[in-house]
Amino acid sequence: MRVSRMFYLYRRLYVQQLKAILEYNKDFYILMCSAALTQVLGFVFLWVIYDRIPDINGWQFWEVTFMYAMIFVTEGVGSLFFEGTWRMGRLVNMGELDRYLLRPVPVVLQVFCTGIGINGLGNLLIGGVIIWQSLVHGHIHWTLGKITITLLLLLTAVIIRVSINLAANSAAFWIKNAGNAFPLMVHNLADLAKYPLTLFPQAIRVFVSTVLPYAFISFYPATYIFGKSDWSGWWMLAPVAALGSAAAAYGIFRFGLSRYESTGN
Amino acid sequence: MSAIQIKKYRSIANRSLQNVLAYRTSYVIGFLANAVNLLAIYFLWHGIYSGRAEVGGYSWDQMKTYLLVTFLANSVLSWYSETSISGKILDGSVAVDLLKPIDFQTARFSETLGASLLEGGMSAILLILFASFLSGITLPHSLLVYVLFALSLLGAILVKFGVVYLAALLCFWSTGSMGIVWTRIAVTNLLSGALVPLAFFPDWLERLALYLPFQSIIHTPTMIFLQQTGTLESLKLIALQAFWGIALWIAGKGMWNWAVRQVTIHGG
Repeated sequence: MRVSRMFYLYRRLYVQQLKAILEYNKDFYILMCSAALTQVLGFVFLWVIYDRIPDINGWQFWEVTFMYAMIFVTEGVGSLFFEGTWRMGRLVNMGELDRYLLRPVPVVLQVFCTGIGINGLGNLLIGGVIIWQSLVHGHIHWTLGKITITLLLLLTAVIIRVSINLAANSAAFWIKNAGNAFPLMVHNLADLAKYPLTLFPQAIRVFVSTVLPYAFISFYPATYIFGKSDWSGWWMLAPVAALGSAAAAYGIFRFGLSRYESTGN
Repeated sequence: MSAIQIKKYRSIANRSLQNVLAYRTSYVIGFLANAVNLLAIYFLWHGIYSGRAEVGGYSWDQMKTYLLVTFLANSVLSWYSETSISGKILDGSVAVDLLKPIDFQTARFSETLGASLLEGGMSAILLILFASFLSGITLPHSLLVYVLFALSLLGAILVKFGVVYLAALLCFWSTGSMGIVWTRIAVTNLLSGALVPLAFFPDWLERLALYLPFQSIIHTPTMIFLQQTGTLESLKLIALQAFWGIALWIAGKGMWNWAVRQVTIHGG
């Protein structure tokens, strides 16, 4: 299927969801504000700590807030545009996926558009402001090349995040009726990437760089942008990590789908 | 309350305990997810303390203990208890509860207590295992401190229930619970001292936090366990917990009376 057609279908499906959620506008605002608040409080946490000490392991305040915000922003994009991944448990267990299989539209595309997490908007706004502030305060020498690479790293970060979400939620094909516990655990592991990787023991560093490449969302982009020479070059693996996790996630999803048996009536 | 009344609520507590047991996989995975959080925070603090003897009046050993006690106090009343109240309101099963000859608030509290006993017990066991791998955890030596600590944990449950219950009742007015739950968690974490000890805050924020009920949830048990307060002062803090627990309970009653008038039950 052509890419432009995919975008067209995605947009149509998305707009339908948007209409649905705008009906409950009270929740809409509460969710948006609560996501923003959660993130602001994390920021306050770092601020309170940095008020007492100049650096953690050689990492300055704005460098850590950048990593912190990257985790939130990518999550925000994930909820805002790909919230459906989080509903897979229900789709599989209620047999709702049957409907999707009948339509001549890629199943994964339909899954992506099964909902809109409006909390993502809160994450995106506050996270965007924090990232922007980090970049302003980070004493960075901007060149055209650097701007291009930074944008590329933001894009790969989003791809990695959404891929991990898709892969983790595909567990619904195997774990019947366990709620969202497993994908939530995978989601929580992103906490490890909110802070500099140098804080952690080797095993954890390897884990969040390879198995679940969260470090390519926050840490490696930060080492490039803030010019941490000890780590120069590792960010170049970000596109590889993005392609790899996207392919792996799609593979897991397809494999799970082949095992899907629907629910009997 | 008569004996029959108490029996009723005890069976509710018992049932909720069994409920947690029935969904143990979810519970264990949820617990592991929180442990990941603890791990991240542990290493963050480890990094903060590298090359420093103390930060904000806490030594590294004290901070390790602080993290573990915080984790215990937080997992005593967990996600399960939290979502079961708002769930009842959102799916309309609260309508059935309105018909029953039991007090909604007391019933929910019994339920929470039942689940808390199990969740708290399991967390305590896992924490002891975890702590045995860490060196330098500062354990109190006097039995009295442990008694006071246990009392303060009960107080913490009471206060946290009060906060959770009030937040859950807001679901009568909204149509979803996630936003309310997240907001509640974020505010409680900050103002109770779950993120950083209150002593780390700037003065004005610390004073504000001490005037609010949230501090009873984490600040009080950790202060007692780390022996940063004397016996008399610990008792005062526990009395303060009791005060907040009762005040929130009364507020919950008031809000319930307002809320039941807003009930919209979907479906027939």
